Amino acid sequence: MTHNPPNTFNNMFIIAVFELRKFFFNTRGIIALIAFALVWGVLLIYPIQGASAMLMQPNIKDLIDGLFGVNTLNVLFEWPVAEMAVFWCFALYLFPMFSILIAADQFSSDKTRGTLRFFSIRTSRDSLLFGRFLGQILIQGLLILLTIIATIALALYRDSQLFLQAISSGALVGLNLLIVILPFTALMTLLSLYARTARQAMVLATILWTLVSLAILLLSHQSSLLAELQWLLPGAQLSNMINTNGLNSLAFAHIPLLQTVAALLLGRVYIQRSQL
Amino acid sequence: MILIQCQGLSKNYGSKKALNNINLTLEAGAPIALVGPNGAGKTTLFSLLCGYLTPSAGTITLLGEAPNSPKLLGQIAALPQDAALDPNLTIISQLTLFGRLQGMDSKQAAQEAMRVLSLVDLADVAQQKPPSLSHGMSKRVAIAQALIGSPKLVLLDEPTAGLDPANAKKVRELVKALSTTTTFMISSHNLDELEKLCDQVLYLDKGELSQSVSMRANTDSDYLTLTMQHCDSDKLLQEVAKLSGVINVSAKQSNSFVIQLANDEDKTTEQSATDNYQFEMKLLSLFNHHHWQYKMLMKGRTLEETLFS
Repeated sequence: MTHNPPNTFNNMFIIAVFELRKFFFNTRGIIALIAFALVWGVLLIYPIQGASAMLMQPNIKDLIDGLFGVNTLNVLFEWPVAEMAVFWCFALYLFPMFSILIAADQFSSDKTRGTLRFFSIRTSRDSLLFGRFLGQILIQGLLILLTIIATIALALYRDSQLFLQAISSGALVGLNLLIVILPFTALMTLLSLYARTARQAMVLATILWTLVSLAILLLSHQSSLLAELQWLLPGAQLSNMINTNGLNSLAFAHIPLLQTVAALLLGRVYIQRSQL
Repeated sequence: MILIQCQGLSKNYGSKKALNNINLTLEAGAPIALVGPNGAGKTTLFSLLCGYLTPSAGTITLLGEAPNSPKLLGQIAALPQDAALDPNLTIISQLTLFGRLQGMDSKQAAQEAMRVLSLVDLADVAQQKPPSLSHGMSKRVAIAQALIGSPKLVLLDEPTAGLDPANAKKVRELVKALSTTTTFMISSHNLDELEKLCDQVLYLDKGELSQSVSMRANTDSDYLTLTMQHCDSDKLLQEVAKLSGVINVSAKQSNSFVIQLANDEDKTTEQSATDNYQFEMKLLSLFNHHHWQYKMLMKGRTLEETLFS
């Protein structure tokens, strides 16, 4: 049989697309999708729709300024589409958490079961690592897209004149969210290579975030230079990003991008050296 | 063509030496057997050849390349011990993915997946998920995945372990049929099976390669293995020992005897063959004279006898 020799880039995309299919056409994936849809359905219908109506009331800004401080959430009121502003507040924290949840089993089960042995004899470990990471990004990208479309639909249901503003605002939110989830997914790639199960990978992630946050907190008391170590941890920029909007949010993009590169490089070293 | 070359190959797990200074060169061709007791290092050697593990010392080359070399991808395949397919995906989808990773397009990969499943008589389970299969069927599916794309070298770790006799026979026939284009290296505890399939047998013990036996040389050697239906064992030993050309005759288990014949190196191959036929005629006359029924008369010794005598 004549066929092309395996190619790392081709195989990376084949694996990524397979991961996407695996998620959407498999019972566990469909259950996760239903759970995701229910959570976001409830969020969109109640808090997002309700809070956006609240945001448009003139005296609510004074109340929020009084509660959180003058320059903490003031930018929320500058969003052209109120629904997108509230969506942004939820999505900025929920998507990274969801990322930890769904990207926890990139390698752990397959490694424990020996399934990776069927792959490693046919494709390079690089294509396996980057392909599965890319697959997780495709899955989450699609979920982000779906929730943004739902938010836009909600805004247009209230005021159909907001179409262009909702689209441009939605595109920027989508891009920012995609960048935000990159290091979370990459870190889960690394942890799932080490862990024996998805649950163990999630426990490791929790321990890592807790311990590293505590360590950085203690070290930051020693010197302001050591406080800069906070940027090593995925999500360190989230509290600063919540009070931004549109292109301004992209000013923080370099932090997650660098964290992603670092986590993937560590993952690459690990998978190349690991015994399957 | 040199298929596998190992030089000074060692693998340690902590302080335990799983493999110690293995040196071997194997050529492409008839199936190669790897035997040895449990814990001898067979699976470790397979894992090193497949690139799942990295050696503690020494070098390995497969088709002139190091394991995990991009040039080897799709050229070698394996049935790893204790490796299972993803239980959440259909068998056909996983085998098709493997084909695609080996460079086939979607259509070719799907056809190839069905072809290899047909080879192991499991085309009808293509749409099922692995948990619905029995142990034996799972093993055959795992063998099928190793045949995708007709690789040059296939490493089979215990391919018939857990299979019923009929399916074990089918696997043996499959290996035999494909060995004209693919070289198989098979690890097994079933010596009868390896004897039927393989030309070369490597014996690993305590991490060391203690013997390398050629089955072809074994059949050419000056031994005859005799299995009797019923006979007086002591009488047979006495009578056979009296025949000219017999150096030694010994009784083995369950009415089996090994006869060692004199080897005259000055004789031509034709002369030796004539002498052997004459000896066999004398042996059959002896059986006739004593009304002894024989079950099997085999040139050479069994693999078990060669390795453990």
